[in-house]
Order: sequence, then structure tokens, then C-alpha cells
Amino acid sequence: MSRTIDLGLLLVDHQLLDSEKRRCGNVDELALEGGPGEPLEVVAILSGPGALRGRAGRTGRFVAWLGGGRTVRIPWDDVDEVAAHVKLRKRAPTLGLGRGDDRLRPYIEKIPGADR
Amino acid sequence: MKIFQVALGILAAIGGFVDIGDLVFNVSAGATFGYQLLWVVVIGVVGISVYSEMCGRVAAVSGKAVFDAVRERLGFRTGLMALVSAQVVNLMTLTAEIGGVAICLQLLSGLPYRWLILLAGVALAIVVWVTSFDWIERIFGYGGLCLLVFAVAAVKLHPDWRAVSHGFVPHMDTESPLLYAYFAVGLLGAAMTPYEVYFYSSGAIEERWGPKDLSLNKVNAMIGYGLGGFLSFALMIVGGALFLGKGIEPEFLGSITLGAEVPLGQVGLLLALVGILFAVSGAAIDTLFSGAYNLAQFLGWEWGRYRHPSGAPRFTLTWIVLLVLALGAVMTGVDPVQLTEFAVIFSAVALPLTYIPILLVANDRAYMREYVNGRLANTFGLIYLVLIMIISLTAVPLLILTNVGQN
Amino acid sequence: MRTFSSFLGRMVVTESGREIGKCRDLRASLGRGRPRVEAIVVGRQGWFEHLGINRPSARRKDAVPWNAVVRIERRRIVVQDGTELE
Repeated sequence: MSRTIDLGLLLVDHQLLDSEKRRCGNVDELALEGGPGEPLEVVAILSGPGALRGRAGRTGRFVAWLGGGRTVRIPWDDVDEVAAHVKLRKRAPTLGLGRGDDRLRPYIEKIPGADR
Repeated sequence: MKIFQVALGILAAIGGFVDIGDLVFNVSAGATFGYQLLWVVVIGVVGISVYSEMCGRVAAVSGKAVFDAVRERLGFRTGLMALVSAQVVNLMTLTAEIGGVAICLQLLSGLPYRWLILLAGVALAIVVWVTSFDWIERIFGYGGLCLLVFAVAAVKLHPDWRAVSHGFVPHMDTESPLLYAYFAVGLLGAAMTPYEVYFYSSGAIEERWGPKDLSLNKVNAMIGYGLGGFLSFALMIVGGALFLGKGIEPEFLGSITLGAEVPLGQVGLLLALVGILFAVSGAAIDTLFSGAYNLAQFLGWEWGRYRHPSGAPRFTLTWIVLLVLALGAVMTGVDPVQLTEFAVIFSAVALPLTYIPILLVANDRAYMREYVNGRLANTFGLIYLVLIMIISLTAVPLLILTNVGQN
Repeated sequence: MRTFSSFLGRMVVTESGREIGKCRDLRASLGRGRPRVEAIVVGRQGWFEHLGINRPSARRKDAVPWNAVVRIERRRIVVQDGTELE
């Protein structure tokens, strides 16, 4: 059963949720393959500051630099569902997502009461 | 049992309605124009109810908070503009609120201001870290109810009730139309504070509201804010009854508390201070978290009070950093009351950038299914869109032309 | 590999040079497997349409089918003559 959507409206800039419903970034860009005369398909979601480089001109490049320039490529096979949020089939760390939170967590946990 | 819950929620909303912007603008408006601007407060209260109801509905049905919608609807570049302006205004507001808390503590204890700033900051951080979400709303909401002392004061000051009722009728009867317009914009900006909406919508998602909570959302928004509006009326009436024509500009929180002390003595003063302390502290917490919610939502980070600090590390770090920045700003000795005026005016300027995406999402069937805006919601939604654009465009010119309300 | 945002803003023209409008989105079908682009959405969306006011979700004619695309140039997307919005 298929449905038609406008990618910019219902996919790009939407929240990514991993298989455990953890928020792990946004759909910052899409990678497509194909060309005139052949099918054009979305092959991957790109997420991370680096993915913003091609969008939003100079602002995008600045933010990409500020954020450290990483881009995570999520092959479409790892996408479970496109609904209000984009749900993924695997856990965030497996896909390379949510690293900012994972790296910061040990410091935050040192403060008493951080897991209340 | 459900009614009891609802009533408690409403009480908390009333107590939490007033923040330092409302205190400053409502009493000043009363001191300058008497009761003439009461009708503007009504418009502001209806506005925040409309806006909140939409945000609550969007959050409950689509699972999206304000800055999720901003990112999705405005795209990255325009959305970033909205984010930056919201954060700047938020930080100004937070600084003013914390300054207000420190002043209250000083009036209550007589201890030095600088130390009380630190105390306020540390106390807020501990409360936030240790207490659960709903207890925070309750404690500060109920404490804020002490502000009802201003309602009692308003009655005890025997204002000219005919003049008061005349104030609810839209009219402009003054030799200083620009100043009048400035106060109108300020009152609307103070009533429709964006951070309330960010906090409300994120809270709705934290509490996992679904479509079944929608009527609760409506009741909360309308009754809570409606009754909260009564506190604003009381403040303006007190300002008018006590300060109009006496050349007293309530520039200090201490002057504002005179409004309760003159008719009600020491008890009135104490209740006013306690009420202001709780209301402004609660507002500070809401503002602090709004800043963290906005950033996390825009960038797709994990967020939420219910996630525990270790579940949302970057979100946690954000609010800690914002608190430290605000404390630093208050330490520079900036006058919180003065700063409040700027914060309110600038939030009026930035309001369209976060209102428009919500209006768009609330109308989008793909997100909202059968809960899209109906005819009534859209009529109000569009009227307020026009109004918000007007105050956004006129806010800074009026600020300049009236020399920050001095004329 | 192309990015989604690289399509945005490119002018869609026919081979004989008639301008149809600027690309503002891509319409794709989601089903099993990868989303397949079916059409290029063109032009500016009116404010009221965007707000969805008083307009049932009837489809506006705002897109050019992907299989009409002949080639992609740096600034433009060229489609066959006689392509109409649908």
C-alpha cells in the first residue's frame, strides 16, 4: 500500500526516532540516485551538521562548521516508517546517531540525582 | 476526581499567569492611563488562550512541540532566525525574572542583592533538579495565588467603578496616542508571552497528551488564562487608583508592592512579596526550560524533564548554560524592571515567527487529521495573526518614539 | 548521487525555453522499498492554500511528472515540450 507525499513537507526537517523511540536528530538532507529517463529514488537520509552544508547557503555552512561537520548516512533500508516522526529500524548508536548525547552523558551522570 | 484535578490545574495556571512583564506593564499602564487600557488586557488574554489551545492541540494530536513545527514549516534557514530571536528574547526575559526574584528576596530579607542573585540561581537549579515537573507547577502556581491580594487591594482602594467599566470598552481618549499605543503593545506582549506557549506545548508532549485530552486542553487554556487575566486587571486597577496623576512611576518592585501595602498594611505587603516571589520564580523556571526545549527540538536532540538529566544530556547542559548566562547578566547590575520592558517589546517583535508555523500546522490535515482548525479556531487564529503582525511591526518604532515609555 | 536540496530553486523549463516555474519540492510515492520520485512540485504556494483554509484537499495543479524530464542542467531542469502542470 503506497501513498504519495511531498518530501520537503513531510520528510525533510522531521524528527528521527530510533527503534527505542529515542530522539536522535533530524532529517537534514536526502540522498537520491537516478536521473532523466530512469527512476529517481531516495536512497538515504542524511543527518548531522555536515548535511546542512548544502542547504541554506552561508548560514548552512556556518552551522555545519559550528557543529563539527559530521554527516551520518542512514540507508533507506534502515527506515521503518514515515509518520509524524521518521522511525528507524535500529538503535541510534548502531546507526551513528545521538553521539553528542552519548559523549556528554558520563559527565552529566557524575552530578548526584542525574538519574532521578 | 477528574474535576478536582482540573480545578487544581486551573488554580496553578492562575497563579502562574503573572510574570514580571505583566507586573511591570499592568501597573505602569494603570499609573499612566488609569483604567483606560483594561480592554487591551482582555484582547491579550483571549490571544494567549487561542494560541495556547492551538499549541496544545497540535502537541496532543501530532506529537510536535512549537519548535518541531518551526523547523518543519519554516525550513532550516528561516527557522534558525526564529530560533535565534526566540533564544535572545528568552534570555533577556530569564535575566529579568531572576533579577526580580533577587529583588523580592532582598525586600523580604534585607540581605545584599548580589548574594541573593546567586542564592536565587542556585535555589532554582536545585528545585528544578530535584523536584518533579508537576510538583514544580503546583508549588509555584499555588504560591502565586498570593497575588490575589492585589484583587483585594483593588477593591479596598475604592476605585471609581464606572471609570473601571468604561476602561473595558475600546477607546482612546488621550493627548499622548503614541504612549497609549506603546502601552497597548506592551500589555499585549506581556500577556502573550511566547515562552509560556513553548513550555505549555512541550509539557503537553512530556505528559503524553493525546486526542482524548483535548477538551482538558481547552478548559485549561481558557479558564486558567481567563481567570489569570483577572490578576492583570487587579494590577492595573491598583496602579490607576494609587499612582495615576501622582507622578509616581512604579519603577521598582517595591513601588508595585505599595499597591498592596497602602490599603492592606503589612499583611498586604507580605502577601504581595510572597506572591511575586513565587509567580516570578515559576516564570523563571518556565522561561529557562523553554530555552532548552526550543534548542533541543530544533536540532532534534533528546529532550524532556521526564527523561531525567542523564537521559537528555545536551538538553540538560543547555538549561544549565542558560541559567549561568542569565545569572552573569543579572550580576552586571542591569535593572530587572528596565530590562523587562525591553524583553516584552522584543518578544512582541519575534512573536509572528513562532505563531505562524503553529497556525500552519494546526490547519494541516496530514498532521492533525480530523482535529484541524475549525471555522471558529481559524477566525480567531487569523484575526490574531493580523494583530500579532501589527504589534510586531510597531513595537520597536513605538519603543523609540516614546523613549521607552517615558515620552 | 544528488541531494534533495540541490533540486530546490532550479527553474523548470521546456526544451523550447518556456518557463514553467521553480522547483520547490519533490513528490514521491512511499511504499515498500525506496521512495520513488514521481513529480517535481513547482511554483509558489499561495498563503491561503498553505493554510488549508476553505479548500478541501483537492489537488492543485502544481507539479510536473518526473518522466517528462529530459536533462538536468546546473541551474535548470529541462522537460519535454508540451508538458503541462498536473
